[in-house]
Amino acid sequence: MARYAMVTDLRKCVACQACTVACSAEWAVPAGHARTHVRTTPLAGSFPNLTSSPVVGQCNQCDHPPCVEPCPSGATYQDAGGIVRVDTDVCIGCGFCVDACPYEARFINPRTKKVDKCDFCRPRIERGEVPACVATCTAHAKYFGDLEDRNSEVSRLVFRDGARRMETRTVAVGPNVFYLGRPEHLDLVLSSYPPRPPRLLTAGAAWTRLLKPLVLAMVGMTFAGQAVAFFTQLHKGEGDFEE
Amino acid sequence: MRSDAIPLAPVPLTADEAETMLQRQIKKHHVAIILLHWFNAATWILEVATGAALISSRLFRVAPDWYLAIVNGLFGTRGNLLRFHVALGLVWIGVFLVYGIFGFRTYLRGEVLKKEIALDRDDVRWLVVRALRILGRSDEALPLQGVYNAGQKLFSMVVYAMLPVVMVTGVIMAFRLFSPWVVGWAVVLHFGAVGAVVAGLVIHVYMGAVFPEEKPAFFSMFTGSVNELFAYNHHFKWWREMKTEQLAWDRQREPAAEIARPETPAGGEGDAQEPST
Ligand code: SF4
Ligand code: SF4
Repeated sequence: MARYAMVTDLRKCVACQACTVACSAEWAVPAGHARTHVRTTPLAGSFPNLTSSPVVGQCNQCDHPPCVEPCPSGATYQDAGGIVRVDTDVCIGCGFCVDACPYEARFINPRTKKVDKCDFCRPRIERGEVPACVATCTAHAKYFGDLEDRNSEVSRLVFRDGARRMETRTVAVGPNVFYLGRPEHLDLVLSSYPPRPPRLLTAGAAWTRLLKPLVLAMVGMTFAGQAVAFFTQLHKGEGDFEE
Repeated sequence: MRSDAIPLAPVPLTADEAETMLQRQIKKHHVAIILLHWFNAATWILEVATGAALISSRLFRVAPDWYLAIVNGLFGTRGNLLRFHVALGLVWIGVFLVYGIFGFRTYLRGEVLKKEIALDRDDVRWLVVRALRILGRSDEALPLQGVYNAGQKLFSMVVYAMLPVVMVTGVIMAFRLFSPWVVGWAVVLHFGAVGAVVAGLVIHVYMGAVFPEEKPAFFSMFTGSVNELFAYNHHFKWWREMKTEQLAWDRQREPAAEIARPETPAGGEGDAQEPST
């Protein structure tokens, strides 16, 4: 099975936003939201040796996506190609997954009120095309392919050229978007936009820690109660209950 | 017969009296209520069954994998499953709205609610004695009950408190109203409120369908009536109220009739009554 991945060469990126525009057009993303975004790190270093780097971010289609488990309805899932997808038919727009994502890659689409995010343009992949952002990138800074195919360009960039994952020791969820660049630039990117530990919204925490045990206990207790009633009754015999 | 001839507490019945009362049916539920009850029961079964299958996250789910697989298989896609759950829920809310609007004066008036769900001192005592008797720890007679016993009242209270929560949170989720934050809490409250009702339903269904003592009450949910003996033994306060009303009615219609009404148990024997203390 395929393991799709994307590599962005930050040395080539000119921060032109062509990918953002192409993505928004492809997916009719409402203004003010984006499935992919281009940011620039703050300046680092001391004058005159200042440096900064563009960052192209999106859903990383993580190997161990922390956004899947908190999704109550099962709308968020990982498909056979390792792509993390949203079944919008089932999404109820609760936002649990939005808070769980360490990369802030998800948003609630104000038009559908359901969650929206990058899925590597899955329909395009199925048609044998590359994602819209890759096709549009003016600087040819983006590569897309199957990591399991050792002859693919992305495999070479990851396994031979050392493209890096933006993960830290504390948040290592296996992102499948890799970056090429000078080490100090990649360090700057990671320190400017580090993944934050996955969170569970208070509502979700109340559900798992309080309400679920409470409901199970209540139902369990009434069930046990009636079992006792049933056996006492068996023991006493039905005669007692005749009118 | 004088009105004080209706005993204040159950008196032992002769076999004949018991037999007559057993044969006589008294009306307990309107057809509308019976239909609503079974519509409600069917809806709850389907909604709880599909709802449990909709919570598929390992963190929150209550049903095992095989159950999810079966239900999802039946519906084809999870989208269909959710659409069914939502559509049926909305129909259910619609029916209750109609009931609420047209039945408001009949069923939801303060005095009716007081009679049907508020617990009085006897009711509280009843709950204790009932529990002790089930545990085999007491042979004490159950305190006298009105048209619904304390267990039924307690269940009604849970239902009356939780139904609005289930409905409102359901609508919020169905149309993703307000903000994701509100929707998130709606899911949680929906689950909790349904859980509370299901805990009550476990007893309600057992008492209705399995417990032999409550059989006439169960069948009254089909026929609308219970036999008078059951009312006399289990819902004495209600029985007494009806007898008093009937007597007043009869007397108004035909004052002479009160002279000979042999079928009332303990009829005419004013001295047979025991003040209930
Ligand atoms: S980047 Fe976020 S949304 Fe994408 S798979 Fe990882 S955790 Fe999920
Ligand atoms: S908002 Fe996210 S967590 Fe909630 S149902 Fe949609 S995909 Fe699942």
